[in-house]
Amino acid sequence: MEEPVKQEWIRDFEAAARRTLEERMRYAFVRTHKPVMDDAPFRAFATTAEYRRWCEEHLPSWLGYGRNV
Amino acid sequence: MAGTFEYRQAREITGAFERHHVKFLFIGKSGAIILGYPDTTQDADLFVEKTPENGRAIVAALVELAFRLSDQDRRDVEAGKDFVQLRDGPFDLDLVFAPDGIETFSEAARRAVVVEGMPVCHPDDIIRSKEATGRVKDRESLPRLRAFRDWWAQRQKA
Repeated sequence: MEEPVKQEWIRDFEAAARRTLEERMRYAFVRTHKPVMDDAPFRAFATTAEYRRWCEEHLPSWLGYGRNV
Repeated sequence: MAGTFEYRQAREITGAFERHHVKFLFIGKSGAIILGYPDTTQDADLFVEKTPENGRAIVAALVELAFRLSDQDRRDVEAGKDFVQLRDGPFDLDLVFAPDGIETFSEAARRAVVVEGMPVCHPDDIIRSKEATGRVKDRESLPRLRAFRDWWAQRQKA
């Protein structure tokens, strides 16, 4: 990673550390609807591999849950 | 649609899970955020120990938190299915009984970090689990997350 980018990240980390956990969480958690993923009230997968396969096969690739976009 | 996950709800999860003696750790990006990592995410991810007792305790805690679970949903959680997505409650929650890249719950619990009473996976474990998934979104976030882990470790020593 290039040094200027890393330095910018470190400034982000230091700025976050000056906030309370409550403030950090207020900025960190956002709510948007993820198609397919959020369309069922409950899902359970017997294995993590099965879950990964389901993500690959059913979610839009742009959500980033697969191995390739 | 569930509301945005908030600090108050992280406290409520911790309270309810502790009252029911659930063995759990915050993991994933939500865990990193509790450790201080500045980024955005949508839901909370919990690494939960895969035992029948823990499964029953999780169901009791989820009911207390007002998650709506059918009889089949309860059986799936009690059975410790590796990955459970809950979208019918006050907030979105993922239960991970077998995260990629982490051998056992007890090892992760031994390395865990407690932040304001909330048990969180060590940043090394969060990174290991993201490295193991191979997902696009994890590959993209890993360089910054590793930089955070290094910065965080330095702060712990200071």
